[in-house]
Amino acid sequence: MHIPDGFIPLWQCAIYYVILIVALYFSLQWARKNLDEKAVPLMAVLAAGIFAIMSMNMPIPFGTSGHMVGGALVAIVFCAPEAAVIIFTLVLLIQALFFGDGGITALGANVLNMGIVGGFVGLYTFKGLRKPIGKYPAIFIAAWLAIFLAAELAAVEMWIAGTFPLEAGLASMGIYHFFIGIIEGILTVVVIYALEKLRPDLLAWNKNKKLGEQKAEESEVTAK
Amino acid sequence: MNGVGSVRELEKETDKESPLHSMDGRVKLILLIFIIVYAVFSTQIAVMIFLEIYLLLLIYISTVSFKTTVTRVLLLLPFGGFIIAFQPFIHPGNVIWSGAFGIQVTDGGLMWAALLMSRLIVSLTSIVLLSSISPMQEVVESFRKLGMPREFAMILSLMIRFLFMFYDELHRISHAQKARCFDAFNKKLSYKWRMKQLGYTVAMMFLRAYEQGETVYLSMASRGFSEKSKLYHDRKKKIGSQEYAFIASTLGVVACLQILAMSFFYQWGLMGINIA
Repeated sequence: MHIPDGFIPLWQCAIYYVILIVALYFSLQWARKNLDEKAVPLMAVLAAGIFAIMSMNMPIPFGTSGHMVGGALVAIVFCAPEAAVIIFTLVLLIQALFFGDGGITALGANVLNMGIVGGFVGLYTFKGLRKPIGKYPAIFIAAWLAIFLAAELAAVEMWIAGTFPLEAGLASMGIYHFFIGIIEGILTVVVIYALEKLRPDLLAWNKNKKLGEQKAEESEVTAK
Repeated sequence: MNGVGSVRELEKETDKESPLHSMDGRVKLILLIFIIVYAVFSTQIAVMIFLEIYLLLLIYISTVSFKTTVTRVLLLLPFGGFIIAFQPFIHPGNVIWSGAFGIQVTDGGLMWAALLMSRLIVSLTSIVLLSSISPMQEVVESFRKLGMPREFAMILSLMIRFLFMFYDELHRISHAQKARCFDAFNKKLSYKWRMKQLGYTVAMMFLRAYEQGETVYLSMASRGFSEKSKLYHDRKKKIGSQEYAFIASTLGVVACLQILAMSFFYQWGLMGINIA
């Protein structure tokens, strides 16, 4: 899903960068209000975690493999799509500059797909479905939809750039990420379930419940 | 993709001594990104060939291993190469070959594929060079000096510190799993169970790294660390003659190439035509 340098014309890259700058402006406002001594390490670790998770290959039916993206995970943990925008901007920047994974000129497009669309779709799908179908099914669908739509948007961007035909791009990215999305959904559910059990204080929706400190002390991870 | 091995190898490469290693991080960052932007802007293969020669010359000056550079570029090519491989069959142009099932190769598609591939090689060479001559923290400091908001710079700097810790945790967990003969790709095991184990691996890796990171961050904060802290000491680098020489040579190369692209390269046949 990482679009490399040279695949999108510069004028289109400029448009995606404008979108990124606007998103970063609002995310910065959010960061200044919300980053406290708990949120800073959480955000940095999540960023490092997203980086590492992207390097972990997962088995996918039909013999192929793929990796998690984590846009919905970040947005749901912080209950803020702005967190996904910040984390994905930083992660994709380092990936582009040090590992050639995704282009530096295509950074705006890549953050739009994985951070902005991934974060917004992930969080608001979760919020919308949480009451009707329950927390964990909602997380699964949110994570699946976030990665699926992000991949389809990447196909649309490549079509606008004249690099790949729309139908073939939507079909190939769609089929592949339909299955990766299932893995993403399962893993997002498991991670949030583990956080809820072991460190509920880290989840934004538990912020005002006063159970964080007690649970943090009981953490099995700390005990190990 | 990238793993702990490549992260550590990259940091080792940046320890070498050369005129490019000792330069101000901002100059290296801006100029190498400028080369990528120019490569994406240009539509002539001849321009890419000269940009690549210039980058190879810089690699020679930087004493970075050619073998490592070529290996890294080749390892990164498949990500974009997959899309490039389709271009001769899907891009409009004059049909130069027809095969079974209506498969056709066009001249326009071949040229477009060649342009994309050459752009990709130039971009990746530039990235490999940048990452081989600049430690990650130097790049963070460069971004900070160039005006990156403090909050973002702090998270970026902490992220890079935690990255090594995270990979250590990942390594430890996967080591423990291998010792118990766990293989996520073993089809004899139930798929659901394998997914559960991978999910717990991700969750445990995240939680353990968070708790270590939280301890590190709180001890840093208790000693006065904040987003205003200066995180990295850049050995008092200043923009001097080396930096000015690098700026002049890079801008000179790009300016010459642009003049040649507009007035001379069109005589070189396929190498010099503008590919749209």
